[in-house]
Amino acid sequence: MQSRPLRITAYTLCSAVGDGRAATLAALRERRSGLSANDFGPSPIATWIGRVAGLEAQPLPAEFAHWDCRNNRLAWRGLATDGFIEAAREARDRYGANRVAVVMGTSTSSIGASEEAYTRLDPDGQYPADLRRPIVHTPHSLGDFVQHALGLTGLSVTVATACSSSGKVFAQAERLIRTGLADAAIVGGVDSLCGSVLFGFNSLELVSPEPCRPFDVERRGINLGEAAGFALLEKQAPSGAWLLGYGESNDAHHMSTPHPEGLGARLALNDALKRAELRPEDIDYINLHGTASQKNDEVEAKLVADLFPTTTCASSTKGWTGHTLGAAGIVEAAISLLALEQQLLPGTLNLRAPDPACGPQIQRDNVQREARHALSFSFGFGGSNCVLVFGRDR
Amino acid sequence: MTLRVAIEGVSFWASRLPGWDVARAVMRGEQAPPETPSARPSPTLLAPTERRRAPDTVAVALEVAARACEASGRKPSDLPSVFASTHGDVAISDYMCSTLATTPTLISPIKFHNSVHNAAAGYWSIGTGSLAPYTAISAYEYTFGEGLLEAATQAVCEQRPVLYVAFDIESKGALSTMARSRGLLGAAVVLAPANQSQQQRGLILTTESVAECHPTPARSAAASLVAENALAPCLPFFEVLASSSPRTLCLALSRQMALNVQVN
Amino acid sequence: MSATQSAGERELAELIVTALNLEGVTPAEIDPEAPLFKTGLGLDSIDALELALEISKRYGFQLRSDDENNVRIFSSLRSLAAHIESNRVTA
Repeated sequence: MQSRPLRITAYTLCSAVGDGRAATLAALRERRSGLSANDFGPSPIATWIGRVAGLEAQPLPAEFAHWDCRNNRLAWRGLATDGFIEAAREARDRYGANRVAVVMGTSTSSIGASEEAYTRLDPDGQYPADLRRPIVHTPHSLGDFVQHALGLTGLSVTVATACSSSGKVFAQAERLIRTGLADAAIVGGVDSLCGSVLFGFNSLELVSPEPCRPFDVERRGINLGEAAGFALLEKQAPSGAWLLGYGESNDAHHMSTPHPEGLGARLALNDALKRAELRPEDIDYINLHGTASQKNDEVEAKLVADLFPTTTCASSTKGWTGHTLGAAGIVEAAISLLALEQQLLPGTLNLRAPDPACGPQIQRDNVQREARHALSFSFGFGGSNCVLVFGRDR
Repeated sequence: MTLRVAIEGVSFWASRLPGWDVARAVMRGEQAPPETPSARPSPTLLAPTERRRAPDTVAVALEVAARACEASGRKPSDLPSVFASTHGDVAISDYMCSTLATTPTLISPIKFHNSVHNAAAGYWSIGTGSLAPYTAISAYEYTFGEGLLEAATQAVCEQRPVLYVAFDIESKGALSTMARSRGLLGAAVVLAPANQSQQQRGLILTTESVAECHPTPARSAAASLVAENALAPCLPFFEVLASSSPRTLCLALSRQMALNVQVN
Repeated sequence: MSATQSAGERELAELIVTALNLEGVTPAEIDPEAPLFKTGLGLDSIDALELALEISKRYGFQLRSDDENNVRIFSSLRSLAAHIESNRVTA
């Protein structure tokens, strides 16, 4: 069974650069980064982060109090943007609440709530009363919340494959729709700042003390960010951009270092182009994974230089949002869709001197030009790779 | 909506049901479970560097993954895989939360890099050299059913065999009151598209919307041995596989969606 | 025949075996002059980070990953033990 293109009939994102498509587009156009000096938690490490402001003061609506935690607050904020909830509910009414699947990506879900509980254990070592809600202390916290928030009753799954999570959700949804298990799907992802990722990546010495510089020869590591993003996928619709294809693979190399030749990434790319029936020459824009880690950027730059013509523009947008981990897939998919809609290909922030591995494809500056097809790369911890192919609304 | 797949290999591991041969015999009432619990399996397919770092999740997941592949006669590196766990590495979550509450700058890099939900899948792909894609999912109490459906969907869509691995481990610390799970439990099957397999044994999977899902309860002598593990909802499926006659059972996919499984 | 371990080297060998969960080698068996990384014990960069953490917890000083002498410091049990001896803060 060949995979089939799907329409993307609604999408949204909420990140450090702002809430929603218009705010994100403005930040991209104006080259305005959302990164700020790390002020998260009681003793912040010296780095820069992509923080979404105001979540501390925005508990979930009373009817969803059961799921309240930072990650789900960020999810709600994303759902409430760009009329996404309305679009989702309209799809629910049209197809039936049991026919719209929910496939959500995350890396740490709401572990921040568990972290908080451990700082406030009662004298018996028990969780404080306000955090005694098992659903927020398990990975499916996100998928479960989104399903309930949208009033859906069918399939709901949380995918947690580190940085490829909310790219892979598109592939999973396409298969559910193709087999007829669902007629539409809400895909997306949410990850929020928490001690686990800040101190965890710090322990691996992967975190930069300055704003991240993807593909720069003097890059010093990643900046962590938080974000939420969602997309509504349908088999048929009169308009909307297209999910034309996807590719998934592993590196089978090392848990925290990519394959030195980008072997898995190349396989995922080939699979994606094959499904989309496109060649590298057809690709106008690639939103790269571009985390600003030493190894990722080196491997990725070489892959792009080897495989794409000079007419393909490529960039990392993590200088705007930070690395949003399990939300990176959806955030960068949304940015790729904005690029196709607006014919504006974002460049790469903080890129002064490109790494020698970079070819001419990797852009520092934004490029305004006709674009029909875009790719989004997500290469995760544990070697999980995902490439998505998007086409302009036609 | 119906999916048809063949079952090519089955495996199972719990400390008092260490292996599918033992588990099946206990489920059929043919033997009593061993008195002495077995120690966690040793992931021999991993190179020494990965093996010594492997936490319990990886140990039990890789054991059942390897045994299911052996039983199927398929090479691990040929198989895309679906890894499913309700709570993931809940012991490492306890470690992370405790350390963050006291000495956050002293997080162990090895434990952090094992903390990702796809750790078992990652170690499996490294140990087998498999470039075939994996996914790692959770769906809370519906994890086993959702994972089985995902594996079958991939097998049918991509017209190739798929490995499905499910596991949960023992919770520790304060988190154990919220993410409840006792003991180690792992189980795996290799599924193939029905038209590609010589196997007689197959599954017909159908989803059904219901007012409220009532999954088939576990009935065998194995039930009490794994009842307190978060993945216990998998047991009725393996009880049916243990019996040689055709049977049906119901797994839950959500509160209002059932997965009806007919096992031939 | 491998060189004999000093008391400090034995203590460090025990820390390495425990921290990295090394199988198939006891602390006493680690040749103090054999390489720790790539060959010899075959440790990798994640092990180096883990060891740096355990050493900082036990001996009270931070091994810096950008120290240009790291290749030499980490080259063997003996060189690492000597580095700890000159920098330790705890008794």
